[in-house]
Amino acid sequence: MKKMHHLQIEPGQIGEFVIMPGDPGRCHLIAEHFENPQLIAQSREYVTYTGKYKGLTVSVTSTGMGCPSAAIALEELIMSGAKYLVRLGTTGALQKNINLGDIIIPTSAVRLEGTSVEYIPIEFPAIADIDIVDALIKAAREKNLKSHIGIIMSHDAFYKGSVFADPDFLKREQVWIDSNVLSVENESSALFTIGYLRKVKVGTILTAVANHLTREVITDEEKINPIFYRMTDLCLEAFKNMEKG
Amino acid sequence: MEQVQYHIRCKKDEVNKAVLLPGDIERADYIGTQFFRDSKKIVENREFHIYNGGYENKPVAVCSTGIGCMSAAVAIEELTNIGCKYFIRVGTCGSLSPEINPGDIIIVTGAVRGDGASKEYVPIEYPAVADYRVVTALRNRAKKEGVDYSLGIIRTHDAFYMESPFAFGDYKKRVAIWAEAGVLAIENESSTLFVIGSLRKVQVGAILVAVGNLITGKKGTKDDLQKSIDKAITIAAGALVDLQEGKEKKI
Repeated sequence: MKKMHHLQIEPGQIGEFVIMPGDPGRCHLIAEHFENPQLIAQSREYVTYTGKYKGLTVSVTSTGMGCPSAAIALEELIMSGAKYLVRLGTTGALQKNINLGDIIIPTSAVRLEGTSVEYIPIEFPAIADIDIVDALIKAAREKNLKSHIGIIMSHDAFYKGSVFADPDFLKREQVWIDSNVLSVENESSALFTIGYLRKVKVGTILTAVANHLTREVITDEEKINPIFYRMTDLCLEAFKNMEKG
Repeated sequence: MEQVQYHIRCKKDEVNKAVLLPGDIERADYIGTQFFRDSKKIVENREFHIYNGGYENKPVAVCSTGIGCMSAAVAIEELTNIGCKYFIRVGTCGSLSPEINPGDIIIVTGAVRGDGASKEYVPIEYPAVADYRVVTALRNRAKKEGVDYSLGIIRTHDAFYMESPFAFGDYKKRVAIWAEAGVLAIENESSTLFVIGSLRKVQVGAILVAVGNLITGKKGTKDDLQKSIDKAITIAAGALVDLQEGKEKKI
């Protein structure tokens, strides 16, 4: 079997259930939650591990930053047999009631990026799979974790829309703040769009590590690692729930 | 909002909080008189017919929206102004999927924003997404009723005579891009209703009955379609009951 052009994986090497962080550096942390994790491939920004979780074969593959590389990862994972995929990442909150460390489960995303528009006209909605959304909500509830559920925004230019951007960034984001968009990140809208087109189930779970209104931000890696452990647990439980139907 | 709303002619708390939104005036009359207990007609103005009534143990309402996003936006805005919180569009659509036949039921998760009204509210990249709680409530009730359904994205648009079996020229070519994308069906109101729901923080969903198939050309018989529409109304009214009781979990 031919290896995928970018991911350097082949069908049979990954599970149907895949966790997708942005950062390749986090893949090994996530794989620590698997039983018997095996490093499958390491190529460009794409790192893949496969292992077991309570009897399920699960994988983790990083997407790199942004929709261009995330779309490649998703396409090649689908071609390799993935059916249930959850992006796991960080996000900048756009609403006052979202505190740093809060979990966000998006139902859908504003398509303020270039990739998904190459797939389908802009009026098509970028929607997370409802079964994945339900399973993530259920997993968070069972752990008594507060989560915000709603619309997020995905965009391409970090230095135009983040707490590190020029001082006018809030002016550009005001339309989304006023439209009850919960937070900003860089991959979900293309992942949701492609997921629907390819008929696989795609969702996202995020943790707020910045708030654009208060300008607070968590940069300390020691504080961020536990956030990823917690989201990985939720994600794996959600997979387990979905398998049960 | 003590004042009387400009088009729907009623004020705060005069309409029950959970509302079915058919397009057709006659369907609003049908739901109000045949499905609700102790129903009372409150308004009859333009394309807006509104009834209050009871369903199971809860107060519910129905308001027709007329055809298209322009009048549907007016209806949901004014109903929200006077305190309504839960909305389910019950309507018909044209199937774009060879697997969805006339009489089949669709529970909508999101809509392509091919309409004009929602663009006045928020830029086009914003998603028209059904409220997840409404989707879950509809799925739960469909399961309870033993009714099969398709679940997914539909297309909302404005020009019936550009995309329908009655349209001019090669309508199949115009809708091909959506059919290939796995868009289940075409109708005329959901996208704006969903966008306004997200903006105004009210819960909106939709359940549709396919009355024809644009790809295969199949059409349903009047009797069969009516049976499906009755099922969709039963599912939607039941979902409004569950939403008011906060039953959000999937069964």
